[in-house]
Amino acid sequence: MNVETEPAAVGRTAGSARTQEVAWHHRHLLDVDVVTWPEIELIMRTTDEMKGVLARPIRKVPALNGRRVTTLFYEASTRTRVSFETAARNLSADVVSVATATSSVTKGESLVDTIRTLEALGAEILVMRHSVSGAPYLAAEIFGGHVLNGGDGWHAHPTQALLDLYTMRQHLAGGDLRGRKVAIVGDILHSRVARSNIWSLTAAGADLWLCGPATLLRGMDRWATAWDGGAIPGHGRFHVTSDVDAAVRDADVVMALRIQRERMQGGLLPSLREYAARFGLNAERVSLAKPEAIVMHPGPMNEGIEIAPDVATSGRAVITEQVANGVAVRMALLYLLAGAHEAAGGHEAAHEAVHVREAARAPEAIR
Amino acid sequence: MSLQSKTASRTTALGPSVGEVVERFELEKAWLVDPVSGREGPGEIVVTDGVLESVVWLEGEEASGVTDKGVVVAPGFFDLHAHFREPGFEDAETVATGAAAAAHGGYTTVAMMPNTSPALDEPGVLERIRSAARASGSPVEVLAYGAVSADRAGEQLSAMGELADAGVIGYSDDGAPVRTAKLLRSALLYAGMLGLPVVEHAEDLELTASAEANEGYVASILGLAGWPTAGEVNAVSRDLAVLADALRDEPRARLHLTHLSTTASLDLVRRAKAAGLPVTCDVTPHHLALADEWIAGARRWSWEALGPDGTSRDPWADEALTAWPYDTSLRVNPPLRTPVDAAACLAALLDGTASAVVTDHAPHTVVDKEVEFGMASNGISGIETALGVLIALVDSCRLPLARAIAALTTAPAAIVAGWPALAATAAARKRGLTEGAPADLVVFDRADRWTVTEESLRSKGKNSPFIGRELSGRVLLTIAGGRLAYEDPKGGDE
Repeated sequence: MNVETEPAAVGRTAGSARTQEVAWHHRHLLDVDVVTWPEIELIMRTTDEMKGVLARPIRKVPALNGRRVTTLFYEASTRTRVSFETAARNLSADVVSVATATSSVTKGESLVDTIRTLEALGAEILVMRHSVSGAPYLAAEIFGGHVLNGGDGWHAHPTQALLDLYTMRQHLAGGDLRGRKVAIVGDILHSRVARSNIWSLTAAGADLWLCGPATLLRGMDRWATAWDGGAIPGHGRFHVTSDVDAAVRDADVVMALRIQRERMQGGLLPSLREYAARFGLNAERVSLAKPEAIVMHPGPMNEGIEIAPDVATSGRAVITEQVANGVAVRMALLYLLAGAHEAAGGHEAAHEAVHVREAARAPEAIR
Repeated sequence: MSLQSKTASRTTALGPSVGEVVERFELEKAWLVDPVSGREGPGEIVVTDGVLESVVWLEGEEASGVTDKGVVVAPGFFDLHAHFREPGFEDAETVATGAAAAAHGGYTTVAMMPNTSPALDEPGVLERIRSAARASGSPVEVLAYGAVSADRAGEQLSAMGELADAGVIGYSDDGAPVRTAKLLRSALLYAGMLGLPVVEHAEDLELTASAEANEGYVASILGLAGWPTAGEVNAVSRDLAVLADALRDEPRARLHLTHLSTTASLDLVRRAKAAGLPVTCDVTPHHLALADEWIAGARRWSWEALGPDGTSRDPWADEALTAWPYDTSLRVNPPLRTPVDAAACLAALLDGTASAVVTDHAPHTVVDKEVEFGMASNGISGIETALGVLIALVDSCRLPLARAIAALTTAPAAIVAGWPALAATAAARKRGLTEGAPADLVVFDRADRWTVTEESLRSKGKNSPFIGRELSGRVLLTIAGGRLAYEDPKGGDE
């Protein structure tokens, strides 16, 4: 393999003085909670390489040539599925796309049977989206290949958190989140994006603020309190508030989360109008943030509700960059996971490795 | 032939197979626990022709070397709450496999819940269960509750009087609460008239709609929909208020609250009992010994997850997550709570608020459990591990051995004795080591550890969170009503 076709010589080149060299040994990526900080740095560096690929006239390398990636989506999604499939094709993988509406899932086939069937059909890397929290963990227990979580219930959306982190680092001086204020505003309770971001941003040393109406923050204060004393190895504290101005003030990053209409039927919100007025990111609110602050949204957006249209299209918004970076991050993860299999000495060793949670080591500054 | 112990020894053979009268069984130098007399200590027993012929307490030189850490003899256990799934769900359990599992767990009497299909809401279903119990050949006594409401639908009362005539020991819509306060009031009055209790699964279904795990820190991190403490407290408040109301018209109304799991709901019962309300309650081994952190992958006992200040420790901070998360064998209703709630269950057991331990044995098929966590059926297959879990508590010095035995024997019998129509029946009889009575006892080795595996469980339900783990307190022998119910296959080898 030559340098032109190989996106990154990760794990084999000498590490820089700042970052300890680390090999990727996770068989699956189910959440960022078990990914150590050096591993996150590795993902970020690999993503840099993938960005380089995407900058070429022909955005394709043969790194995963002949490898079989299957996307299994139990929940409607456009951008995540297309992003994963684009990423896989950019690496020359063969992509099979399974959407539940057209599979035998609608005939009542269990997740376990579906996964065994897909494995028998040759799936090696399974990208999965599911509405039930924890579903990819069940998949990973029975699937012989690699599982990449494309979002499960309220629990986790690791690739989103990693693309968010990558995007933030691109825009922050020095690419360093330590001490930088990140405000995430919206439906935190039901958000897998928020949960994965809690793990990755507290590992990065960011000053993380979660904000939303009390009904959509249930339980988060207890979580924040538990972590307040720096109790979790490798993770700093974070804040929870319903005071949106306090959350946004002097922020380096402001992220809005989607508000779903079901929340009104569930009695959690009086009206979308009231939400927009009290929590929506409008120009006035965003002006409380630092002048150079960026505005993010994991999509899809409800413009005029959680984010005003002029904010979404302003120079501060990096929402389309998030989408573009999503492809690169997912290329990096597919690449790392596909390589992990051999590197970790096959099925057993890799499976063993993910069963044991490692103590993540964060930048020292956050202690 | 001898039991697996350094001290105790068995000198004579049993009847050859399950269901047969135990002709002769002698056990020397074991630790006897008699919760009726309150006595425990070294002793010997002799069973002849199914009768506990002699109970001899040893003293002095004879007793030397016999401790409560080895082979223990106790009265047969009584489970006030189990699911045997027949009729309707025989893939998950049958009366025969349930009885075999019970005997393996040391139980000689089990009360079945009526959430079968069809529900046990008329006498014909009870007859089916009884004939299945007879056909099983097991001497384990299978009692049953009738449903409170027809088809457990919460609309109108079941055939309560006919069910009483046929011999149910009470009424429950377990699996769900009695749907409305109004129906509960009727049920308490009508059941009270019949001298029988309403056994209530306390849950506010509005607050727990789509809930997956105890609302709290663990569920927040795992992204699981919360089952709030208020869901149980609210229901218990309702039930107690309705009971107080019903008692004015029917002094024989009785309420039993099963599988309570929260500090606050147990406090409510504690106060209601102090105020003289005829209410009783129980707790389960899993709510005593496990906590919600197991769903995240922790595998330590609930008391090991308590900090010195009595608050719950953080399994993430402790790096105590050693198992794969979202194990559906941990999905149970009410859900596993915090270590603080588990400690409250133990406190309630110790102060008599909840005198009895029940298993809520809830076997399920692989089809119902090998699914996404939030789609898995609720329940733990627990009748074979209850003793081992309580022994773990005993080993931790938090529960005296005699109290653990009482919670499995005399305490449930005393609860039944408080139900007027049953006060003089066999179910309410004092469960002691009584000379001259039919032998009804369990022999177990407190120190002998056994590994819980799918093969070692007699239940069809392999949905145990202890699969692959070791428990102390191997049951060596169970005799029910003078007949052999279970014998450890290793026991007679040496």
